[in-house]
Amino acid sequence: MPYINYENKEISFKIVYYGPGMSGKTTNLVYIHKMLSDEIKGDLITLDTEEERTLFFDFFPLDLGNIAGYRVRFNMYTIPGQIYYEASRRLMLEGADGVVFVADSSPIRFDYNIMSYQMMEDNLRSYDLNPREFPSVLQYNKRDLSEAIELGSLESELGIGTDSTLGAVATQGEGVMETIRMMSKMVIEQFEL
Amino acid sequence: MEPTALEDMTMHQVLANLVEDSRAMMALLITKEGTVIEEAGDTSMLNTTAMAALIAGMFSATREVARMVGEKQFSILLQQGEQRHIHISLVTDSTMMVIVFEDYKIIGRVRLKARQYGEHLIAGLSRQQRNRSEKDEVPVSQFKEYALNLIDQIFTANEK
Ligand SMILES: Nc1nc2c(ncn2[C@@H]2O[C@H](COP(=O)(O)OP(=O)(O)OP(=O)(O)O)[C@@H](O)[C@H]2O)c(=O)[nH]1
Ligand SMILES: [Mg+2]
Repeated sequence: MPYINYENKEISFKIVYYGPGMSGKTTNLVYIHKMLSDEIKGDLITLDTEEERTLFFDFFPLDLGNIAGYRVRFNMYTIPGQIYYEASRRLMLEGADGVVFVADSSPIRFDYNIMSYQMMEDNLRSYDLNPREFPSVLQYNKRDLSEAIELGSLESELGIGTDSTLGAVATQGEGVMETIRMMSKMVIEQFEL
Repeated sequence: MEPTALEDMTMHQVLANLVEDSRAMMALLITKEGTVIEEAGDTSMLNTTAMAALIAGMFSATREVARMVGEKQFSILLQQGEQRHIHISLVTDSTMMVIVFEDYKIIGRVRLKARQYGEHLIAGLSRQQRNRSEKDEVPVSQFKEYALNLIDQIFTANEK
């Protein structure tokens, strides 16, 4: 559920980029931020370690403008993928309206993707959300790797549908805007009062 | 003119009064997801949107820490700096108030006012929910149509 401020006529949605460590979540967010025009975006905040691994989250606000009398905002977050940041990861999902799962197409990361995806489902359930109905997009990132895993292979392992899956090369911006577009549309379509 | 009674004030007015009364610099009311509900005082030198996101993160992290030591949560957080200090307190389960002030000697006053005005903010928040009139209702289908259009315009691969 987005946060609606009736007094100031504002609606805020929260979109979270989830996924295993090093899969390219921050790269996605940084690219989107770079592509948007200055008038609609706020500063990008990254809380990371010296090695640029996300420690708590990355964040930037995006102002969609005035829609039907309401000022609409998307608050964009990434979570830290590293295993031992489980507590912070769960916190960031609180109040989320949609989640982009950024998977790593490297074959050696297959298990890690699966584990992380299941953790995300557990995190969602901890907020009484049904992961199978929750707006989510699965992005296979790092399609530039020569031995990339097949599209669809994670879904069959997880036993989920494949209708909101995309490939991407976040370092080159490929598939990044398509992903956020698909995510945003799902979030808006699920919106109800 | 009669001064407006606290009960009739908008949330912004309550917050503005709090700032004045406590002699703080500014105050924010934010949700635990990190969205600004209301702000008052001198916020010109601050990015309040970013601040709300960070403080919400900070608060939720502290809440987890509280649980680890067997507390439900710490209801007040205080950050003491050299020139400026921040007082963060829970207003309801899902909202908190952030007060930035400069003279550390007024901490007692800030704390007192945070509690007093907190009560009015609670009342204001529930009134805001109750008083949602028909005209405030978001026209959902129109909203969706416009929003979907806008999304196509904003997230194009070769913008800028
Ligand atoms: N080959 C390749 N490398 C990528 C791609 N996207 C990201 N990377 C690289 O993967 C590494 C990790 O990227 P990040 O965006 O920091 O990963 P993250 O998911 O935010 O990682 P955590 O914050 O630790 O969870 C960086 O060195 C990126 O340059 C891609 O599409 N292809
Ligand atoms: Mg990161």
